[in-house]
Amino acid sequence: MTTVSTSAPEPLVRAERPPRDASGMRTVFTTVLILVALGVVWEAAKLFASSVNYSLVVGGTTIDLKILTDAQLPHLGAIVGAFAEPAQRNGDPLYIMLFQNALYTLWAAIRGFLLGGSIGFVLAVLFAHSRLLQRGVLPFVIASQTVPILAIAPMIVIWMGRAGALEWSVPVISAYLTFFPVTIYTLRGLTSVPQTSLELMQTYAASRWQILWSLRLPNALPQIFTALKISATASVVGAIIGELPSGIQNGLGIAILNFARYYNQSPERLFATIVAAGVLGLLFFGVIVVIERLVVRWRVEETT
Amino acid sequence: MIPIITIDTLSKTFRSADGDEVRALDGIQLTVEQGEFISFIGPSGCGKSTLLRIIADLIQPTSGTLRVNGKSAEQARKDRDYGFVFQNATLYEWRTIIKNVELPLEIMKHSKDERRARAREMLRLVELDDFEDRYPWQLSGGMQQRVSIARALAFEPGILLMDEPFGALDEMTRERMNNELLRIWTTMKDMTVIFVTHSISEAVYLSSRVVIMSPRPGRISEIIDIDLPRPRGPETRDLDQFFQLTSRVRHSLRQGITLE
Repeated sequence: MTTVSTSAPEPLVRAERPPRDASGMRTVFTTVLILVALGVVWEAAKLFASSVNYSLVVGGTTIDLKILTDAQLPHLGAIVGAFAEPAQRNGDPLYIMLFQNALYTLWAAIRGFLLGGSIGFVLAVLFAHSRLLQRGVLPFVIASQTVPILAIAPMIVIWMGRAGALEWSVPVISAYLTFFPVTIYTLRGLTSVPQTSLELMQTYAASRWQILWSLRLPNALPQIFTALKISATASVVGAIIGELPSGIQNGLGIAILNFARYYNQSPERLFATIVAAGVLGLLFFGVIVVIERLVVRWRVEETT
Repeated sequence: MIPIITIDTLSKTFRSADGDEVRALDGIQLTVEQGEFISFIGPSGCGKSTLLRIIADLIQPTSGTLRVNGKSAEQARKDRDYGFVFQNATLYEWRTIIKNVELPLEIMKHSKDERRARAREMLRLVELDDFEDRYPWQLSGGMQQRVSIARALAFEPGILLMDEPFGALDEMTRERMNNELLRIWTTMKDMTVIFVTHSISEAVYLSSRVVIMSPRPGRISEIIDIDLPRPRGPETRDLDQFFQLTSRVRHSLRQGITLE
């Protein structure tokens, strides 16, 4: 420390943020614990149901427990085992087939995420700068989300086919789900600027563009990332749903359709596919979290 | 003497949502000379912050004229004639300390090297050069306010407008900040400071003139010359003259209130 002539000791500089590793390890531990607990409940329920021969009499009424039979709800071991078994006779193991399909779906989800994110962001910037636009257009944006994606998806497939861009139909369906959170959260972030922060810019005679770039955008970043995290998982859901009416032959959505058809023979394959879809969504989410930590570095570590 | 700010029969009336009118300022008459350190003091509701914000062109007067550097307040703002210090430091939390000080220079399109050099110089001036890569939340309230003063001075404005800058600080920190501010003001040749406060001793200690305001409607009730010798330091507060001046200001403030 250099000596400060006129100043008496200033209150100590606040501590550096706490190391992340400690809380990170705890999170991993908790997650594993919950997974194990869920597995135990799953298997215990099956064990119990088989011990009472899949029907339970409580106060005169009989409860049918057949959904807990191995044909309806496979053992966890069977689901894990299914990954290693061939998906088709003499074919590749299921995990390879799922990996290829997941990559296909991920590529569509990424394009949908980028497309939807960009549209959502541009809409938010326009709304933040024009009250008229916000009043006129925002209600339609909100209404768009009340229309079920399943009703719109086939239309998008047809339109994109007519437009000669069929390979973009799945990303567009995915984008339909992803743009909305980005619009809403970004708009809120852009407009919830403290009054004095804005006045400071006025005292510099800053232009609208400078206020957007140097104040509104960085102020909105935490909220934008909240939206991107929601959109990352939504884009995977959107891509899977988009594949159903698309007529294409690849993707987790198509795998889900196929395995649902053969559910009675081998339910564990559908479960394995669902696990793969969940992991894909989590991975995408995780990538956004990593980017957020690199970009939003000023935030005080939140203690939860 | 060069008049920097001239205010003539200036009034401000706020209209509330239900149509009630509140006269925040009435018939304000004031000339501020170059190099002066002038304080506005008065009870809450006397319009001292409103007057400062009108000078800064953050709000517009209802009637009357106001010239800053011989120009309209709007033109003076656009010409970046003044730096403004808010009650809360208003640092941008996503910027490091040095990047906060660089902010006005960025907006004013100074070159990167010039920004950095100038911001370093300013941080040295407020004795925070060891903290340039910290984020605002890592600094105490007093340090944050020193950063905001450095930021306001970074583009070398001729006028510094301060809106209760030390109001949120404890008494000890506040007195230390007063000394810092006087030291900086002495360094900056011919800089005019307008300082809004509700602390009598702070106003007397810092100022060359104290403008006493009374509420409902906000009026200037008296202007007191502070002829305490400079340079001032902690020993100034022990002078008989200092006590006489603070009690004069106190009496004047009391009169303004008993007018009701």
